[in-house]
Amino acid sequence: MKVLAAGVVPLLLVLHWKHGAGSPLPITPVNATCATRHPCHSNLMNQIKNQLTQLNSSAKALFILYYTAQGEPFPNNLDKLCSPNVTDFPPFHANGTERARLVELYRIIAYLGASLGNITRDQKVLNPSAHSLHSKLNATADVMRGLLSNVLCRLCSKYHVAHVDVAYGPDTSGKDVFQKKKLGCQLLGKYKQVIAVVAQAF
Amino acid sequence: MALFAVFQTTFLLALLPLRTYESEVLSEPLLLTPESLKVSVNSTRQRLHLQWTVHSLAYHQELKMVFQIQISRFKTSNVIWVENYRTTVKRNRVLHWSWESKLPLECAAHFIRMRSMVDDARIPKPGFWSNWSSWEEADAQNSLGHDPLLVFPKDKLVEEGSNVTICYVSRIHRDNISCYLEGVQIYGEQLDRSVSAFELKNVSFIRKRGTNVFCKVDQGGALGGIVLFVSKVLEEPKDFSCETQDLKTLTCTWDPGSDTGLSKQPSQSYTLFESFSGKKTLCKHRNWCNWQVAQDSQETYNFTLVAENYLRKRSVSILFNLTQRVHPMTPYNLFPKNVGATNATMTWKVHSIGNNSTLLCQLELLAEGKVIQQHNVSIKVNGEYLLSELEPDTEYVARVRCAYTNHFWKWSELISQKFNTAEAAPSEAPDVWRNMKMVSGHPTVSLFWKPLSKVHANGKILFYNVIVENLDKPSRLEVLSIPAPTRSTELTLDQCSYQIHVTAHNSVGPSPASVIVISGDPGNEEVESGRVNGTEDGFSVSWKPQSGDATGYVVEWCDGPQDLPCALQWKNLGPNTTSTVISSGAFRPGVRYNFRIYEISAKRMAHLLEKKAGYLEELAPSDNPQVVMSNLTSHSFTLSWKDYSTESQPGFIQGYHVYLKPKAGEQCPPAFEKTVLPEDSLCCKHTIDNPEQKTFVVENLQPESVYEFFVTAYTSVGEGPLDAFTKITTLDEYSHILIRIILPMIFCVLIVMIICYLKHQWLKEKCYPDIPDPYKSSVLSLIKSKMLLKL
Repeated sequence: MKVLAAGVVPLLLVLHWKHGAGSPLPITPVNATCATRHPCHSNLMNQIKNQLTQLNSSAKALFILYYTAQGEPFPNNLDKLCSPNVTDFPPFHANGTERARLVELYRIIAYLGASLGNITRDQKVLNPSAHSLHSKLNATADVMRGLLSNVLCRLCSKYHVAHVDVAYGPDTSGKDVFQKKKLGCQLLGKYKQVIAVVAQAF
Repeated sequence: MALFAVFQTTFLLALLPLRTYESEVLSEPLLLTPESLKVSVNSTRQRLHLQWTVHSLAYHQELKMVFQIQISRFKTSNVIWVENYRTTVKRNRVLHWSWESKLPLECAAHFIRMRSMVDDARIPKPGFWSNWSSWEEADAQNSLGHDPLLVFPKDKLVEEGSNVTICYVSRIHRDNISCYLEGVQIYGEQLDRSVSAFELKNVSFIRKRGTNVFCKVDQGGALGGIVLFVSKVLEEPKDFSCETQDLKTLTCTWDPGSDTGLSKQPSQSYTLFESFSGKKTLCKHRNWCNWQVAQDSQETYNFTLVAENYLRKRSVSILFNLTQRVHPMTPYNLFPKNVGATNATMTWKVHSIGNNSTLLCQLELLAEGKVIQQHNVSIKVNGEYLLSELEPDTEYVARVRCAYTNHFWKWSELISQKFNTAEAAPSEAPDVWRNMKMVSGHPTVSLFWKPLSKVHANGKILFYNVIVENLDKPSRLEVLSIPAPTRSTELTLDQCSYQIHVTAHNSVGPSPASVIVISGDPGNEEVESGRVNGTEDGFSVSWKPQSGDATGYVVEWCDGPQDLPCALQWKNLGPNTTSTVISSGAFRPGVRYNFRIYEISAKRMAHLLEKKAGYLEELAPSDNPQVVMSNLTSHSFTLSWKDYSTESQPGFIQGYHVYLKPKAGEQCPPAFEKTVLPEDSLCCKHTIDNPEQKTFVVENLQPESVYEFFVTAYTSVGEGPLDAFTKITTLDEYSHILIRIILPMIFCVLIVMIICYLKHQWLKEKCYPDIPDPYKSSVLSLIKSKMLLKL
């Protein structure tokens, strides 16, 4: 009886083993089908490149609009308040395979999309009349949504990757206003830095 | 017996604790130490909450006690607050107390302890304080994060005008930390090695999205900040009032004052309470709210309006009777029916209020923006009123408003409607006048009439009828129709008398006729002429009546200068008038206006009575006479300007000035006096004070001398412009004589020569006839020739 328990339990444990969040995720086997809701756009990679170029070209302007709208001391203390020190930002390796780069791109865009959502929500309350900022935030979020869809489509159609686990940054809703402004600035600073690298890599 | 014993024993036993208690009281002070002290922190409100109990009380005891509470900051020895808190204490009842810190609690550790004393009148004095409880720490610094520089309070919301204490906690122990508010450095006090505080007094509202207050280490390094939200002070609602339009819904309105909304705080909310029904409603709008009137017809309402935001609450109340707050809705369907020339019926409707309530409606009639009629009409639903005494062809505005008859509260809004009355026949005869002249030997009458005023026209004048009746031949009638806006016509007549009727016609009919009679006899044009003076108001013209039966007078003139075609004007006057003031915007200074005054007889004939001429304002002559010099001698010469027209000058010519410049050193001739010209040169001047005298002989001059002369006219204002002088030289005296003798002599000689030439043959024969020359004899020549032949 004891022997049986000793044998079965490990087996049961192994059967229920689950991978942690940062490690390679369950990927649909090569021979399995990966169904997308709609057929993928033809020339998908070109579209992804265009979207990255679009994001890259508008990132600096968004950053400037943001820190200007927060008021002093933000515009004159970018190094202290807006430096791109976002510790939980998903990594990106420019020299990886296309598949690996696409997976990392997906994680980055998902992270950025959520963070941009926080920033947009916070800024609607903190700076309701900063129309240019809101317009640019919305436009950026729109492109990111499209990019996310295209990247997943590409991963699914070419590499049969049906699902990518993602992580998001901290929710800012419980933080004080100054901290919200600061976190938003750091995130957009990081975004400006990362998007240039990512756009270059594709 | 046994029962009594048991009862007695029980009674004695019950009394025993009291006795003990009494002996305890009398013998030892009562010390009740606070226990179970717990401190909690509310960082957002910067409050410390304390709760404790007093266990040592007896179960049934209730005592008044005083608790002395001490609060220390940074260290227990630094006591910053002491307060005595009095309350009634029961055994095991948890007591509460709280304290608000001006300094944000995150900036310092706080410590609290307390002791107690019985403070009850039932316990005889003196009381004694218990022992102090142990210091309890209130630590709000546990979860501050890892930032090297932290500023507090986070997201503080305060009212404008209040005081705020900002503090920072520095983990880097630097002295060079500066703090700023709106770019301006603020200065504070260092409380601790790593804590400084800044008191901001009387903070001002800056913006709705808050103000960044930050601290930084000078020359690089850490930076921390907060956002301070300063709200406008919530005002008490003003002008709170409720009314109903239909006794079913009450609408309450008020002036909310400033909006206290911020990023941190929504705009203030308004709630309406009604005390008699106990109901309340949250208002959706910031300055009005609806309330459904109860079906059970509650008559009296006591409303309280409460304005509230995160910081403050304000309220205002009113008490009123529902039926005394009726503000009817605006009437509708106001329109005129049966519109005539002088009356119109206005109809309108109102929204009903309650069951068959009566409304008092006020109908106003406006013309040219002014109220000319006002009528009050009581109605239930439909209103109607006849407006009369209106003017034809006139635009009016009718407007109506209504109020609740039972109890007047407010008029409803006004509803207006424009309408026009119909036309009517013109009510007055046109003002007609005539001008007579002879054209190619025929008397020609120019008829003029003035357009009727709007009041008399009663509509648009379409044409004028001119009926010419020959009084000497009544059967001959001429009818002319002249379309408006023509205001004149010309009639060629003969020597007969004519009666001319002129009527103005609009779409309804003709006006009364204006009648003038033209006599076949032109009448006497030679009448008395006079002058009139012009004033600011015009010309004051007067005349002497001639006959006693004049039915009126007409003063006629031309509005423009005489050299332009006459714009004939006239003024009709009554029979008893002998003077009038003629005004015209066309009158100009320096223009002669000729007035002709006519008397209108009973037969409607016009007879010229007088002529007057005048200037609104006389001016100096604008030009000088063209002078012709003649009869030059050695001592005189004659000047004449016969062509100079005195009537076309800008003032009445009163005379002339003759200026003479003699040769240097010579005195002025006797008729002249010395004068100085404007350019400061000396001159001689002679004045002629008769405007009709247009010649002048300048005499007593020196022969063979150069004189300069110049003639100008003058009016009451001044003389004409200074022109160039004309030079002449008087003749030599001997030359004069010589001229008187030699010229005739030469003339005679010439005559003689001519006679001699004409009669030279006769003279020759008479004075020196030819002496015959034999050699020239013809016989002799014949003989000679023969002789030669023979030879």
